[in-house]
Amino acid sequence: MTDIRQERSGAIGHVEQRQSSRLTLLRLLLSNEFGLLVLIVLFALIFSTVSPAFLSKFSLYALGRTAAVNIMIGFSMMVVILTGGLNLSVGAIGVSAAMFGGLLMEAFGLPWPLAIAGGLAMGAALGALNGVIIVRSGLHSFIITLATMSIFFGVMIFLTRAESYRDISPVFTGFGRMKLFAIVSPLLIVSVLVAVLLSVLFRYTALGREMLATGANERAAELSGIRVNRMITYCHMLSGILAGVAGVMLVSRTGAAIPSMAGQLGQDWLLPAFLGPVLGGTLLTGGRVSVLGTFLGSFLVTMLTTGLLLMQVGAFWVQTYLGLLLLLAVLLDLFRRSYLTRRKLI
Amino acid sequence: MSRRIWENDWFGPLLVVVVAVAIVGALNPSFLSPFNIQILLLAISVNAMIAFSQMIIIAIGQMNLSVGAIGGLAAIAFGGMMEVWGIPWPIAAFLALALGLVAGLANGVLVAFTGISAFVITLATLSAYKGVNLGITEAQPFYEIPATVKALGNETFLHPLPWLIIPCVVVALLLWYLLNRLPLGRSILAVGGNEHAAELSGISVRGIVITAHAVSGLLAALAGIMLVGRLQLGQPTIGDDWLILSFAAPVIGGAILSGGHVSVAGTFLGVAIVAIFTQVLVLFNIDPFLVQVVLGVLILWAVGINRFREVRAQRHAEQVAT
Repeated sequence: MTDIRQERSGAIGHVEQRQSSRLTLLRLLLSNEFGLLVLIVLFALIFSTVSPAFLSKFSLYALGRTAAVNIMIGFSMMVVILTGGLNLSVGAIGVSAAMFGGLLMEAFGLPWPLAIAGGLAMGAALGALNGVIIVRSGLHSFIITLATMSIFFGVMIFLTRAESYRDISPVFTGFGRMKLFAIVSPLLIVSVLVAVLLSVLFRYTALGREMLATGANERAAELSGIRVNRMITYCHMLSGILAGVAGVMLVSRTGAAIPSMAGQLGQDWLLPAFLGPVLGGTLLTGGRVSVLGTFLGSFLVTMLTTGLLLMQVGAFWVQTYLGLLLLLAVLLDLFRRSYLTRRKLI
Repeated sequence: MSRRIWENDWFGPLLVVVVAVAIVGALNPSFLSPFNIQILLLAISVNAMIAFSQMIIIAIGQMNLSVGAIGGLAAIAFGGMMEVWGIPWPIAAFLALALGLVAGLANGVLVAFTGISAFVITLATLSAYKGVNLGITEAQPFYEIPATVKALGNETFLHPLPWLIIPCVVVALLLWYLLNRLPLGRSILAVGGNEHAAELSGISVRGIVITAHAVSGLLAALAGIMLVGRLQLGQPTIGDDWLILSFAAPVIGGAILSGGHVSVAGTFLGVAIVAIFTQVLVLFNIDPFLVQVVLGVLILWAVGINRFREVRAQRHAEQVAT
C-alpha cells in the first residue's frame, strides 16, 4: 500500500518536475538575453552573407571597439534607470570628464593614469551633483538633468573655448588602437570587466541590493531602513563615472579630447544610452536591471549600425532605423510581458 | 476662488521682463531701438511656437522629445516642396503643417495605445524623424526659397512689428481660449491633473492624449516653417537646439511637469525672458557660449520656485483643513 502511494507520488513529482523544467526552458527561451543572442547571431549571418567584408578582421575589430563605448554609455544610463529615474546629461558629463582628462594631460602635464583618474573624478562629481539636486529638491530627474545637461555642456564649452586637446599621451592612445589577437580591442575588455563588476555589485553586495530596492519601491525601502536618498545619489554618481569612462575611451580611440564628440549638448549619446538598457530588459519604472542584457543590447545596436553602413543603406538613414528599432524593441517587450503574464510565467 | 494679482503664474515672469527691460534699456539705449525690438520680436515669435508645442504636452503630464525633429522635418519638407517640385508657398506651407500633424498623431497613437512612456516613444520617433530629414536632404539645405516667404520671415508690417508676430499672437489666443474656455481644453488639463479621475468622469483619455500630441506636432511644424522664412533657408539642422528651450519657457511660466497646470501667458513671458537674456549676452559682448548655461540655470531656478509654491499651497491647504 505504502509502496503504491510512494510510487504514485513519485510519478506525480516526476511529471511536475518535467513540467517545471519545461517552464524553466520556456522562460529561458523567452528571456531578453536569449532573444538578443538569437538576434545577434541572425544579423551576423545576414550581414556576412550580404557583405563578406563584415567578417574581415578589421571590421570585427572596429565593431568591438565601437561597441565598447556604446556599452559603457548604456551602463551609464542603466544605473540611473534602475532607480526609476533617468539621466539626460550622460553625454554632457562624458564629454566634460574627457575634456578635463585632456586638460590635465596637456596643460598640467600629468602622467596619463593620473589624468584619467582626474577625468573620472570629474564625472563622479558631476553625477553626484545631479543626485544631490534631485534628492534635495524632490523634483523628477528628467527636468533636473535636462537643466544640468545644458549647464555642464555650456560651462565646458565656455572654459575650453570649444577647442580640442590634442596633446594626449601616446601610451594612452596606443591602448585605444591596440589589437589583441588581431581582432580584439582592449577597450572591449575594459567593458567586459566593468560588466562583471556591475554584475557583482547588483547580485552579491548589500549596496547593489539596496540600490535595486530603492528603485523597486522607494517607500518600502525607506521603511526597511535603507537610506533612499543616499542610494539615489550613489546611482547618479556611478552614472557619472561610467559616462566618464565612455568619454575617456573615445579620447583613447580618436587620440584627442574633442568638445563635439557627443554632438550638441551631448545629445548624440541619448539614443544609444536608452537603446542598450531598454533592449536588454531593464524596467523603466526601476527596480530591475540586466547587466548582461544591456551589454548584449548595446552590442546588437552597434552591430546593426555597422552592418547597415556596410550594406550602404546610406549613412543618413541609419538614425531612422535605430529609432524604429527602439520602437520595435519596446513593443516586442510589451507583447512578451503580456504573454508571460497570461501564461502565469512571471 | 479669487486670486491676488501676485499669485498668478504670469506675475513673476512679467515682473522679471519689466525689470530686465528697464535695467538693460538704461544701461544700453540701443536695446530699445526699433531695430533691436524687431529682432527680439522675431526671436520671440518663433520660440513661442516651440514652447507652446511642448506646453500642450506638459499639460497632459507627458513630454515630447521629438518637437525639434518634427519642426526640422516640416521645415525641410516646406523648403524641398518649393525648390524641387515648384509648389506655391501657401500650399507647401499647408502640406508641411499637415506633415507635422501626422507626425504628432503618430506619437499620440503610439503613446495612447501601447501605454509605453511618452519619453521612450518620442525618443524613438525623434530619431526616426531626424533620420528621414537627413536621408532626404543628405544634410544639405534647400536654398531656393521664394522672395515672399523670405520677406514674411523678416520684414515688418507696422514698424517694428514683424509679420511673424501675427501667427504667434493668433496661436497664443487660440490656445488660451482652448485651455480656459473650451471643454476639450479642460479635459486636457483634467487628464494631466489626474488621469484616473478623468477617465472615471467619462473623458476619453486616449482621445485627449492623441489630440494633444497632434496639436504639438502642428505647432512644431508651424515653428519650423516660420524659421525657414526667418533664416531664408530650408536648413536640415532646424530643430536641433529646441529641446532645452521648449522646456525652459513653460516651466518659467509656472507649468507643473506632472501635468494639469500650464499657463499660456506665463509660457509666452518665459520665451520673452529667454530672448531678453540671450540678447543681453550679445549686446554686452558676453560669451555666447554662456547662453546654454543661462538656460539651464533658468530652468533650475524656475522649477525651484514652482516647487516652493506647490509645497506652500499644500501646507496652506492642510492648515485650512485642520
